[in-house]
Amino acid sequence: MRLYIFHRTTYSYPSAVTQSYNELRLHPLSNDWQKCISTTLSILPICRPQSYLDLNGNIVHFFELPEAHHRLLIEARSIVETISQVDFQNFPYGVNLSKLSKMEGIPECRDYLQTSTYVEINPEVWRMAVDIQDSSKDVFQTAYQVMEFIYQNFEYCKSTTTVDTHANEVLKIRRGVCQDFAHAALALCRCIGIPARYVSGYFYDSSRDQRMRGAEASHAWIEVMVGGHGWFGLDPTNNRVVDDTYVILGTGRDYRDVAPVTGSYYGPSPDGFEVTVRVKSTDD
Amino acid sequence: MSLPSQFQNYTTGHFFDEMFSGDQQLSARAHYQQIFQRFDRLTASEISDRRQQADSSFLEHGITFTVYGDEGGTERIFPFDLIPRVIPESEWSMVENGLRQRIIAINLFLNDIYHGRKIIKDGIIPEEIVNSSKNYRPEMIGFDPPQGVYAHICGTDLIRDDKGNYLVLEDNARCPSGASYLLENREIMKRAFPQTFGGMAVRPVEAYPDTLLKTLEYLSPRKSQKPVCVLLTPGVYNSAYFEHTFLARQMGIEIVEGKDLIAIDSCIYMRTTRGLVQVDVIYRRLDDDFLDPLMFRKESMLGVSGLMDAYLKGNVALANAVGTGVADDKVTYAYVPEMIKYYLNQDPILANVPTYLCWRDSDRAHVLQNLENLVVKAANESGGYGMLIGNQSTKEEREEFARLIEAHPREYIAQPIVSLSRHPTFCEEGIAGRHVDLRPFILYGEDVEIIPGGLTRVALKKGSLVVNSSQGGGSKDTWVLKDF
Amino acid sequence: MLSRVADNLYWMSRYIERADGMARMIQVHQSQALEYAQNDQQLEEFWQPVLQSICAESVHPAEQGFRKIGKTLLFSSSFANSIFSSISIARENARMVRDQLSEELWLELNNIYLFFHNGDADQLYKQGSDLLLDRITRFSLVFQGLADATIPHSEGWRFLSLGKYLERADQTSRMLDTLNLRTKEPTRADLMSVLRCCIALSAFRQQFRGNLSLKNVANFLLFSEDFPRSIRFCIRAIDHSLHAISGVPTGTFSNEAERLTGSTLAMVNFTDWNQVVAKGLHQTLDELQTTLIEIGQRVFETYVLLPSEIKSLGERSSAQLAQAQQQQ
Repeated sequence: MRLYIFHRTTYSYPSAVTQSYNELRLHPLSNDWQKCISTTLSILPICRPQSYLDLNGNIVHFFELPEAHHRLLIEARSIVETISQVDFQNFPYGVNLSKLSKMEGIPECRDYLQTSTYVEINPEVWRMAVDIQDSSKDVFQTAYQVMEFIYQNFEYCKSTTTVDTHANEVLKIRRGVCQDFAHAALALCRCIGIPARYVSGYFYDSSRDQRMRGAEASHAWIEVMVGGHGWFGLDPTNNRVVDDTYVILGTGRDYRDVAPVTGSYYGPSPDGFEVTVRVKSTDD
Repeated sequence: MSLPSQFQNYTTGHFFDEMFSGDQQLSARAHYQQIFQRFDRLTASEISDRRQQADSSFLEHGITFTVYGDEGGTERIFPFDLIPRVIPESEWSMVENGLRQRIIAINLFLNDIYHGRKIIKDGIIPEEIVNSSKNYRPEMIGFDPPQGVYAHICGTDLIRDDKGNYLVLEDNARCPSGASYLLENREIMKRAFPQTFGGMAVRPVEAYPDTLLKTLEYLSPRKSQKPVCVLLTPGVYNSAYFEHTFLARQMGIEIVEGKDLIAIDSCIYMRTTRGLVQVDVIYRRLDDDFLDPLMFRKESMLGVSGLMDAYLKGNVALANAVGTGVADDKVTYAYVPEMIKYYLNQDPILANVPTYLCWRDSDRAHVLQNLENLVVKAANESGGYGMLIGNQSTKEEREEFARLIEAHPREYIAQPIVSLSRHPTFCEEGIAGRHVDLRPFILYGEDVEIIPGGLTRVALKKGSLVVNSSQGGGSKDTWVLKDF
Repeated sequence: MLSRVADNLYWMSRYIERADGMARMIQVHQSQALEYAQNDQQLEEFWQPVLQSICAESVHPAEQGFRKIGKTLLFSSSFANSIFSSISIARENARMVRDQLSEELWLELNNIYLFFHNGDADQLYKQGSDLLLDRITRFSLVFQGLADATIPHSEGWRFLSLGKYLERADQTSRMLDTLNLRTKEPTRADLMSVLRCCIALSAFRQQFRGNLSLKNVANFLLFSEDFPRSIRFCIRAIDHSLHAISGVPTGTFSNEAERLTGSTLAMVNFTDWNQVVAKGLHQTLDELQTTLIEIGQRVFETYVLLPSEIKSLGERSSAQLAQAQQQQ
């Protein structure tokens, strides 16, 4: 599927701010199931971002705006070719859950089994996770149950949580948006030894009535490691296994690692903040 | 008995032909197969019937433009050629990406020159080029148009060279016209060749008026209510007046003249039979110079006194913004590839035609020595005016241009004569190859939207490279095919 | 709706009605003039009052003779009320408000314009002027039908009717006035001509059973309650349109145009032939025409100008402006 993504972020400040430093993770990755054809970044006031690859392999752009400005506008436009990373007739069942300690021994899984900024491994979460796991011994099956549990028991509602809401809080109030659902799913998976990472990206709502959640926003979901098969995406917000309608911007331990836009500056907090995301299929 | 082939005498010459590959043995390109078969077996009476239908349809509907220079301004129809130009999707998506990249860079450039001027400070573009541009408007310094966008409606002219590469010929970032012809051409083609059209997956263009309206509404300074948008026309004698009424009607907005608007307390109102109504967005088809007699040309009868004051205070939005003409300047044009690299850190997807800038001493010397092999253009003219085509010019004309270049080097650029691609076209002698260009339309409101295809203009005179309507050009419908 | 648009619609409609009236006037009088075809003196005596009534004396200097008068009134581009001029002006107004017209309406108007413009009208005229004149009256009827059938009966349409009925009232009064301008007592043929010009012959016969007299003809054209070209009918229609535009109930007024129309309507509703005779028919018609011009001017002031502009224009120049428009 060929997708076009437009993502604009605008901050406006009540008075001039200076010394603004920002990092952007807005450049889609290229991997086996998605190819980023182009990404065009434009920023006002005019500046010329530079880029590097972070420890998780994500493309990061950064820029400085020393001069005084009242507004910061960041636009990213990408064209991405995607294919589905799973065969829907043939899910990767058949890999049994291993001991946590054994999984921790594998270097590429280790980070994704630990407590991180927004996700904590603790006995309460573990108890909840074991209940969800029930009698399942299968990694993919269990992760799927976690996703279903969240989708069925958590209420999707905006403005009850913030960008800083912790997974513990989400598991308690059982409400939130995609970021919160992903954090909750990470906590539950990690407690029972399923390596799980946070994915930031977009998805294209191909349903006729546009009923999916998070399509017109920067979206988030999780990926779990199924030994011998690699990472698989699960979207607890829409209860879907990730397919070619999803575009990955980056992955990390949690939101902290892949926030699309972060930065600091001298001056008052913004009095206006707006995000616009449009995902279009160019195949139509 | 089989009919004679309509293409039996057709030759591609030494040009890139849109429909055929190979110059000895004609073979229709894959995406042209259906069109070729349809037109190859067309009978003479079918052709003349359909042409007459099309012509009278244009005339009756008043789809005309006015030619200046003739006494009183004559209304003419824009000649229409029945053979559509076809662009495969794979090619179009490259063009579309290139246009998007270009319009973003141009808008960043406009923003930059009216704000921090970083591109000048970094030595990419000389300051005097910007400051001396005829359409540079110092009034706009420091002004922030909505979302930082200046050129909301842009028509970029593309040509193809003898290898078939798409090249940008010029950017029209002020008031590009032609969108109405694009829409009408499509209507007429659908009626004239319903089966052929229906049998191919042609990407639709009908969304243009809706998208244009959304683009305009997006600019409204009053977000709380449904924006009041109007189209400001210079009036019924303007060459593009038909287009103005056409678009206004398609969008369902009022078409106004300067005298219909009035500025009160830095807001713009239109006079209606129910009193004054505040206007939020003006789609102006009027050059900067005529917008406001208080700020620009004093003698302008077409504009609205106080419009600039209202605009700069943010009480009314203009599309396009004031001062976008710097990007139309053909000297600025030459720097667009550098802008793309500077602002976006990317290589241009669509190349420019190589351009000599006469203000550079070395370029000028080269131009003056090679006038016969170059096209010389005035930097700030459009519509095919102020132009010298070296190999078709007389000695006197070349001498005249040499004088002009010496006197005003900043105002002239020169380019090699590109052998524009040709397209089969109905002519006196039957179907023959004629040179074409392509003007896609780009809208930039919330995001960049490009209508699939655009207006294909064709130079109807044999051998002519000038496609402008005012210089004997015609047009074709342009089909972007999904399946190729 | 934009004030200018209202103004354009109003004038478009007026000029089409004017072309229509002119076409019938030429047709009727040309046929009557055949009787005098052998005598230049009589021919001039016949045509002069007609031209005078439509303010066209100067258009056709007497020394040219009157045999080609029809052609002048049809095609002259220097005479602003010739049929070609009227159609051109109507189309020009239509071009400025195309977005308000239905495609059908525009096509009809543009077609008749092109028909004149490309010389087809000339050709048809050579085949027989009646063919051309018929074509014009038929165009006008089709145009009116389309206006009623294809555009919303909202504000713009009200301005169309306003223009139409103001022009029609004016035409009827002018045709009637030709009877006054003749030096001799109007003949039976003269009376018939006036009725024909107003397509009133059969309607008149139904009411008066062929009792043709100046009194009956004038009574009919001034006061008929239901004949759509009588002055009374037209003024009632103007009154109706004005109130539909402003939304104020009839019988009251919210602007000068309404007040003037209301009082004129009362006058024609409650006047009889004796009073007309007492004042003189010509005088009555003259006053009516002045009032009609005034109504047109007040409509312009109410809906097109801003209050400040009316004051700055002053009384006198505004009357001149109306006059200038009238004679376009």
